[in-house]
Amino acid sequence: MLAAACCAVGARASDLPSLWAERVKCAVAVEYITQTELERRPTIAYGTVVDSEGTIILPSAAIDLRVSPKQIRDFKVYVPGDPEGSPAEYLGRDAFTGWHFVRANASVRSRLVPVTAFAGPGEPREASLAEEVWGIGIRNKDEDFTPYILQSRVALIQALPQRTAIAQQEVAGPGLPVFDREGRFMGLGASSFGQTFLQFSGAERGGTPIMLVNVEESSAFLVAGEVLPYIGRVPKNAFGRPLAWLGAYGLEPMDREVAAFLKLASQSGAVVSEVLEGSPAEKAGLKAHDIILGVDGVPLPRFRPDRVVVDYVERLIAVRSPGDAMTLSILRGPSRLEIRARLEEEPRLVREADRTYFEKIGFTAREFVYGDAIARHSPTSELRGIVAHLVKPNSPADIAGLRPDDWIKEIDGAEIKDFASAVGRLSEIDKDLMRTETVFLVSRGSDTAVLRIKLR
Amino acid sequence: MSGGFDRLLDSVVRIDVRELNFEDGARRIDAGIGSGVILSQDGLILTNAHVAGPKAVEINVTLSSLERVSARLVGWDHWTDLALLRMNMDEVKRRGLAFKHADFGDSDKLYVGETVFAVGTPHGLTRTVTRGIISNNNRYFEDTEGVDGYETGNFNTWLQTDAAINPGNSGGPLVTDDGRIVGITSRAYLGANNLGFAIPSATAKRIVAGLVRDGSITRSYIGIIPKALQDLEGFYDVATNTGVLVESVESGSPAAGAGLQAGDVILAIDGKKVDGRFPEQLPPIQNMIAGQAVGSQLAITYKRGSREASATLVTTRLESRMGEEWVSDTWGMGVQKISRAFARENQLPDDTGVLVIGVQRGFPAEVAGLARGDIITKINQSPVASMDVVRSVDAAYTARPAPTLFEVQRERRVSLVVLKP
Repeated sequence: MLAAACCAVGARASDLPSLWAERVKCAVAVEYITQTELERRPTIAYGTVVDSEGTIILPSAAIDLRVSPKQIRDFKVYVPGDPEGSPAEYLGRDAFTGWHFVRANASVRSRLVPVTAFAGPGEPREASLAEEVWGIGIRNKDEDFTPYILQSRVALIQALPQRTAIAQQEVAGPGLPVFDREGRFMGLGASSFGQTFLQFSGAERGGTPIMLVNVEESSAFLVAGEVLPYIGRVPKNAFGRPLAWLGAYGLEPMDREVAAFLKLASQSGAVVSEVLEGSPAEKAGLKAHDIILGVDGVPLPRFRPDRVVVDYVERLIAVRSPGDAMTLSILRGPSRLEIRARLEEEPRLVREADRTYFEKIGFTAREFVYGDAIARHSPTSELRGIVAHLVKPNSPADIAGLRPDDWIKEIDGAEIKDFASAVGRLSEIDKDLMRTETVFLVSRGSDTAVLRIKLR
Repeated sequence: MSGGFDRLLDSVVRIDVRELNFEDGARRIDAGIGSGVILSQDGLILTNAHVAGPKAVEINVTLSSLERVSARLVGWDHWTDLALLRMNMDEVKRRGLAFKHADFGDSDKLYVGETVFAVGTPHGLTRTVTRGIISNNNRYFEDTEGVDGYETGNFNTWLQTDAAINPGNSGGPLVTDDGRIVGITSRAYLGANNLGFAIPSATAKRIVAGLVRDGSITRSYIGIIPKALQDLEGFYDVATNTGVLVESVESGSPAAGAGLQAGDVILAIDGKKVDGRFPEQLPPIQNMIAGQAVGSQLAITYKRGSREASATLVTTRLESRMGEEWVSDTWGMGVQKISRAFARENQLPDDTGVLVIGVQRGFPAEVAGLARGDIITKINQSPVASMDVVRSVDAAYTARPAPTLFEVQRERRVSLVVLKP
């Protein structure tokens, strides 16, 4: 199978049907279930097979990052055209590429071909302007995920900051591969590059048009050189740990006018909005409002648009590991300085936080993590209290005025020290049939409120 | 009707106000109509703060004789939604205009069901009288930005009446059949039938005296948001009709400095017991605190858990969240000074900076990407400590336009922009 595919790379351009027949085997549809306290919701995404182990990469947008990996389950892989799915395992998200990794069950692997089989020899080739390219699209579940071909020409190649080819029309489903006329792998369909259409109402003249976004097809793709070197970045766990952390929050691009004002016209910069408490950036002496001009002695390049520089810096952090060093060239007021930071493991994220649902009170308590303290301008040294993650409509908690993201600091007048003790206390309250009420002290924005939750 | 009522009719005026607004990033004049009542022969007129305030650039009063005379603002108090005007008495004398004035009645003696009349200029219909009863003489409601964004209603309860109140009635008197002012009508529920509200004359009398004397009302601030205990006495283990619950303590306030916390129950202030069982009882408590001289010491006795404790704090001056407003014609940008209250509400580190309240399309501020809601913290790398900083940079820019560097905070993100000619 592999040998045959390799030979196909040299095939003549006119053999598109046979190129298609081989290459469609590296595209799959992936279905998974998001299970929350109140609902089970299926989602469908498209992915590309990257090795002979059945490893599949899905674009970052395929899974909502606010959802905990513990809540996504029942992954299934569908071979295009076949309504029968087979079970798959979620391996996690790689912070650098943003890709989610999924592994197909052994039973289906023989029907899959990795995209690397079509990479061709040597360095990945980048498409040239106006070159004809084609890619794979996949129809919906009710059409048995039937694959179809999309074809276009490259209109523009931009660094965003990854090199991204923008075609004249839709060229592939997001996450699905794109090839040249010889069948060589040219890149992966990018998400959030769907074409938009305006639909004008026939009934209402002069009414506001509706904007339609084609999310199933993309007119842009990450070039092969931004894909092939990284397909081995399979996460070690569902959370994608270890995660390198600097702690420079809210990077904002320096625009051209500002660069000219500061006499830095040839390059770019990123303004640091805040330096997080206890972070490597703080330890290294980075200050809020510093402007990062370079990393490890290399000035930040200029991008179009300017805001791409933020992703560029964030990727320079994400590609490293905790313990790695990073030297930042800084502009602080009129002076330039070098700051050397040693990256650390990122504190527990909201999506990693523990959660427990209390049926009778009607809410999900979530562990209060570092990011919660940052969001609430609160010291991070003591992570006390819990967060109301979900409030069930019309439950006692909802009626009493508890809202998602409320920070619960006290239960019945007693301060919450940690998540485990809060869960213990809430479980007792939830189970106690004789109890008529419980009183929460919650903080919301700059205010606090005493909420009296009537249980009977 | 009584002679007093006839006299009252001759003391009610229509008020036409032209106000300067900066919210489009340009000077814009808005016109509004309200009502008012003449309080004295030297030309004092009482109306609502939301009819005439410091933004007014032109105030005209139409007397019952249909003659028009100009007036100026003596002072306002948005917390009680009251403003005091004075007619141009030179003009009154020169033109030989005549008017009558009305007297205050006692709003504390009103009973529910008592007949009252609202007099005013609803929708511009001069000297309209509507009749109703007192529906409730002690109504509590919160309105945190009722007067063009300014806070109101924390220090008084309201009279509720079913006398028809429409837009334009605002500032007119609510009177008993002897023509005495028992309230200043100020608002009604839109979309409801005959649910109107007035500031009681007991409050108005006090505010008028203060405005005549000082041109403004000074209140003390300690930084607690109280909540009615209502049925929580058992939970907090206090006797019924005892104490007021602290719902929130504002960070950096005197109360926070004295160690008070949300969830505490205040039992007494300066040895005087407080009873905040019901929401209607909260404004008098707030008013009692506000009525202390700024800088005075207050002893607070409170209960936390099972323990009673006391703390002494020193009051500071109560400030509105709305800071000074100004517009730069050159940049096409309206700004408002960040107040301490605004900084606290929005969890800003301090009150440095000005808030952008409007930008004009195609002008330097808009072209550079500034938008309503942005906070300008630095200009040319110096902190914006006051509106004067903005004014002086603007003057320099207007005289000699040159690229100017602004540091802007949007949500929690800091960015730099350059304003160019």
